[in-house]
Amino acid sequence: MPNGTSSSAAAVWAILRKECRSEWRTRYGLNAALLFAVTSLTAVSFAAGRIGNRTDILSGLFWIVLLFATLASMSHAFVREVEGRTMLMLRLVAAPTEIATGKLLFNLLFLAVVEVVLVPLFMILMAAPPPHWGPFLALLALGTVSLAASSTLVGAVIAQTRGRGALFAGISLPLLLPVLAAAVGGTREMWVGHPVASSLRLLAAYAVALLAASLLLYDHLWED
Amino acid sequence: MVWRVMLFAWIAAAMSVALLKAPLVPVLQETTRILYFHIPSAWVTVVALGWSMLHSILYLVRRDLRHDDQAAAAAELGLLFCIVATVSGSLWAKAMWGAYWNWDPRETSIFFILLLYAAYLALRGSIEGDEKRARLSAVYSVVAFVAVPFLIFVVPRMYESLHPDPIINKTGKIDMDPMIKWCFFAMLGGFTVLFFWLQSLRVRVAGLERRQHLARG
Repeated sequence: MPNGTSSSAAAVWAILRKECRSEWRTRYGLNAALLFAVTSLTAVSFAAGRIGNRTDILSGLFWIVLLFATLASMSHAFVREVEGRTMLMLRLVAAPTEIATGKLLFNLLFLAVVEVVLVPLFMILMAAPPPHWGPFLALLALGTVSLAASSTLVGAVIAQTRGRGALFAGISLPLLLPVLAAAVGGTREMWVGHPVASSLRLLAAYAVALLAASLLLYDHLWED
Repeated sequence: MVWRVMLFAWIAAAMSVALLKAPLVPVLQETTRILYFHIPSAWVTVVALGWSMLHSILYLVRRDLRHDDQAAAAAELGLLFCIVATVSGSLWAKAMWGAYWNWDPRETSIFFILLLYAAYLALRGSIEGDEKRARLSAVYSVVAFVAVPFLIFVVPRMYESLHPDPIINKTGKIDMDPMIKWCFFAMLGGFTVLFFWLQSLRVRVAGLERRQHLARG
């Protein structure tokens, strides 16, 4: 294949565009994810009451809502291809790594959209004090990369199992617990005005390790 | 056969000396004795995890189902030893800290590992077809291995722990009474050999099952 890098970049770009277009046509996945995020946020908000001054609890609740929204919506990326019987077709036009990278970018975008809705809503409903945006967004961005990377890989694995969606949460969780620990710790520090560098470093290291492992493993996701 | 009896005698002897003769560590008092089976179990948990990951990688490289048998067997045994380490640690925590469970960083990391093993085995159970099961669970196993160093080494060190390795192991060197040290290492060795013996049995059974399956068609 001449000009390998640019053609696989083009393939990744094409997959990303295809994902966005098919999502935009139905908006089924996005609506479900947003609805789920708002529902769990409402449940948490009702259950906890007004705890705007307890930023330690708020940090935990915020990441749990985000984690649940991720777990509830991210398995679709590949399950949809399998259920729509389009996986074979997709594999004819692109290499496994390109497909998975395209899906990973789409998942990142998807999570970003969910967060754009979720973050302000969380702050309002929980009457949270305004966060320090710099460190908060950095934590959010790094956490999101890990969430998307793990979800893409596990999603691809899960799409080929018997239960499909059913196992996704249980299998993703052990991979996401370090993210949860570091992100919750960092958010808590952020709210009381302490430096968050150590949490950011941990999150960044984990995100990089997860991405590197994913890129090595994507090739093995499907039989040739 | 002979060395199986020897292994049994070895562990029995080490355990007897450990429980009856070895002195107690001042701070830990009577609970010192957990040392001889809790730490070896935790050690075997990590060895099993490493073994399972290693064979998962080998499977992805060589596509030989025998590596998958090794990975699966090690994960099953790892789960078993992980449960032993968790439960014994929890009993010890009740005696020393006054609660069975309080999310000490050590408890957190071993619980994560328990979840990891359980998730791996649940995943295996839900995939049909030997090749596919081997391939997908190997992928999961390798990516899970990314989480393990964070769980075992980073998270417990980020937070304060009451776990007594600073009591026994003050300066990073093994600083124990020689009698305790010998019993401890005897048990550590015994448990490691025990693991590899159980592992070889489990792998043999898996191989025989596959052969029987193939013979029946």
